[in-house]
Formats: sequence, C-alpha cells, structure tokens
Amino acid sequence: MTSRTSRTSRTLAASAGACALALGVAAPALAAPAADGDDTAMVSVFHGVPGLTVDVYANGDELLGDFEPGTVTDPQSLDAGTYDIQLFEAGQGPDGTPAVEKKIEVPAGANATIAAHLSADGKPRLTAFVNDVSKVDAGKARLTVRHVAAAPAVDVRAGGQPLFKGLENPEEDTTVVDAGTVPADVVLAGTDTVAIGPADLDLKEGAGNVVYAWGSAADKNLALAPQTLGGMESVPNGVDAGGSGAAVASNSSDQWVAWAAAAGTAALAGVLVARRAAGRRG
Amino acid sequence: MATAALAAVATLRAGPSDQGTPPPDFGPAAPARAAAASGLPGATEPSPPPAPHGERREAPPERVLVGDVGLDARVRPVGVTEQGALAIPGDPAVAGWYRFGPAPGSPRGSAVLVGHVDGDTGALGEFAALYDVRPGARVEVRRAGAGSAVYRVVARATVPKDGLPSSTFRRTGPPVLTLVTCAPPFVPEAGGYQANLVVTAEPLPA
Repeated sequence: MTSRTSRTSRTLAASAGACALALGVAAPALAAPAADGDDTAMVSVFHGVPGLTVDVYANGDELLGDFEPGTVTDPQSLDAGTYDIQLFEAGQGPDGTPAVEKKIEVPAGANATIAAHLSADGKPRLTAFVNDVSKVDAGKARLTVRHVAAAPAVDVRAGGQPLFKGLENPEEDTTVVDAGTVPADVVLAGTDTVAIGPADLDLKEGAGNVVYAWGSAADKNLALAPQTLGGMESVPNGVDAGGSGAAVASNSSDQWVAWAAAAGTAALAGVLVARRAAGRRG
Repeated sequence: MATAALAAVATLRAGPSDQGTPPPDFGPAAPARAAAASGLPGATEPSPPPAPHGERREAPPERVLVGDVGLDARVRPVGVTEQGALAIPGDPAVAGWYRFGPAPGSPRGSAVLVGHVDGDTGALGEFAALYDVRPGARVEVRRAGAGSAVYRVVARATVPKDGLPSSTFRRTGPPVLTLVTCAPPFVPEAGGYQANLVVTAEPLPA
C-alpha cells in the first residue's frame, strides 16, 4: 500500500500543491486536521472486491490510485459532506463506467470506513461503516467483525468460543475483549463448517481492531483483512506500588527521616498505625 | 525507636505540608508539560503514526539502573490487574514495564517503569531509592536486542494516588521515561500508601 499511496501522493500533490496525503489532497473539501475538528471527519477506505485493482474517485477527483484488493488506507481528515464515490478499474476513470458508485454522506465528527466489497450474491457495492472510537479500559481491545463477503450468514469464533452469531453481509458486530493474540475462525452460521481460518488475531490494546471477512465463497477466496484504529486507550486506574509500609519506617535509613518529615502529622499517625498493623499491599 | 524518630521528624518538619507533596520535589510539573504534548483523545490516528503497519516491535527493557542512588532492578513486562490497576511485580526487587505503552527508547510517549517501594515482608524495594534522586541523575535502561536507552532525571513529583496524571501513560508527544512508585502517607486501613512518587527523565543522546 505504501508505495502505491506515495506515488499517488506525488501525482496529486503536483496538481494541488498541498499536503502529501493522497486522500486529503484529492478533494477540494480538504481540511487540515487541526484546523477545525468540528467540520471534519476521519475517513479510511477498505477494498474488498477480489481481483480488481481500482482507482477511487470522490466527486470526480481521484482519491486513491491503483488500490489493491485486501488493503485499507490509514484514516485521513475529510471535510464533512456528501461525496459521490466511484470505483473504476485502474486507469479507466473518470469518464468510463464505474464498477460501483454510491453517494456517501460523511457527517462531521464521524470516524468512518468506506468499504468497497461484494454483496452476499457477489455484486460490487459500497458500504460506509461508522467506527466506534470510544475509549476502552486499560488492557482491553475493541474487536469488530464486518461481513463484506459474497457468502451466507456466518458465526465468528475466538479461542474456540462463539463470539458473534448469525452475521450477515453487510453487517458488523463489535465487542471489547482482553488485548492479545487470539485464534479465530469464521464458520457458516449454526454449523462447524469453517469458511475462513483459523487465523491468529493480534488484538491491540487501546485500539479498535476491525476485521473484514471478504472475498467470495463461490470463488474460494474468502479471507480476513485487519484494520487497526488507535488512540482509544485508557490509563490504568491505579498504581499500588507499596507493601508493608517499611519504606516509611523512619529507622530504616536516614533518608526516610527527612523525607517523612515533609509528609506531615497525618502521615506520621499513619506510620505508627502501620508499624503495628499487618501490612496490606497498598 | 519509633518515638525517637518521631521526635526528630517533628523537629525537621518545615512549613505547611499538604498531603500530596511530601518529599522535596523538583523540576517542572511533569503533568503540565506532558499534557500540552499529549495527543488529543477521541481522534483516531494512524495506529503507530509513521511506522508502516503495526509490527514495530520495540526492544523490551530488561534492567534499570540509576547509579547515583544505587538503584538496580530487573524489569519485566506488566499489564493491568482484573480491577484495571497497573500490575506490579510482587517482588519489590523487580520493576514492571507497562507493556501497553511505549518501551524505553521509544521515539515518542511516556515509557513507564513501576516498582514497589517496599514489600509485604518489610524489605525496601529497589524503587525506594527514587526518593534520593536528584535532577540530572543518569538513568540507564538495558534492553533485549538493543543498546541501552539512557535518560537524565528532570523532575520528581508526589501526587495523590487518585491524581496520577493521565499524561503519565501518554503514547504520543515527546519521549520520556517515567518511574513510578508509592509514597506516604501510609494508611493501612485505606489500602496502604496514599500517594505516588513520579520521576520523569528525558532521553540523553546515545
């Protein structure tokens, strides 16, 4: 993705003379991320139509060039508004017939991923998914699975346990789990017939881990593609780094005398109690 | 013995002592400068900003040394407890590295090392030495599969436990090493120590 994106960037930057982000440069609607957060949205694009390298246009301007199936762009800031999104077979746009086209509304403040994919019956289509970017607790990861494959309803299993059930194209389901690596597979809904996997999912802490189930059952090219959205971490809710209270026992070492001195009388009372009470890990 | 010490303490006691600020702290208030630099919440950013996709495995820390105060602790990665608190190695001779945040030597964010100030057996922890640390003290973090990351102490602050600045765990902004341990007052019936000692160090050029 990187080489393709940078090539596109150069082309676009030459005409627009602005920033090097392909997605941003393309649209006149471009806004600098820091300029006015209220009027912009964060948009990424996922390509899940097998066997078709495409150019992506927004309102007639090229947004992405030579976009390969199974890849996803990093989120970029776009002005809120309605975009006419068109996908052309690479090099065929913008005057030819698009492989798929849809007007997509990008609301202010949203974080969205536009997915180009197959419908359940194998026709190219565009779906806009809103990404949940709310914080997760420390140590946790958000896991979202999006069914964008030409395939019937599926169940998603993680660590051998059913995680999502009866997911249909183009639905998604989401949950928050412990961060870490978990083996997962996708089975036909209500069966043990594995459609995809098993595969290890690396669920990153403090992040949205989106997994696209894409491809075509008929063509036997079903696959998983990950997208990671960061910045959702929370801090641990405490740091309990003391034990018995020995460190405040002023006869331990001279340094503690001076140090405890500043702690005040309330603390000193605590010290006396501490020395008689059973130490409790604090 | 305790009585004698108390007397000494009473004499030494100087000035008003707010509960949250016992030791002679120094340096810029870490929270302020870090807060300015920390990333905006809510916004998603391309996961690890410039690094292309994810697998930027940072060299994990193995040992932390502060020669000036004789601190020398092994380091192991830690996460969070069931209750969502930072998990801390039970052995006060061992420090924990918060593995969900940046690693020491990372080009951005606050790498957090934490150690018990003392153990349940009454032994002092290695991180108790942080109470003696002075500005400019050299902190060396030895890493697996990489050279040492070296820092210089710039600030120390004592904060109430429920007031630990969130910037302590920031993952963006200028790189710092943050060393955390517990601090008095010690109130057993309230769970032990009531404050955290936070030492901030900035990278030294290799």
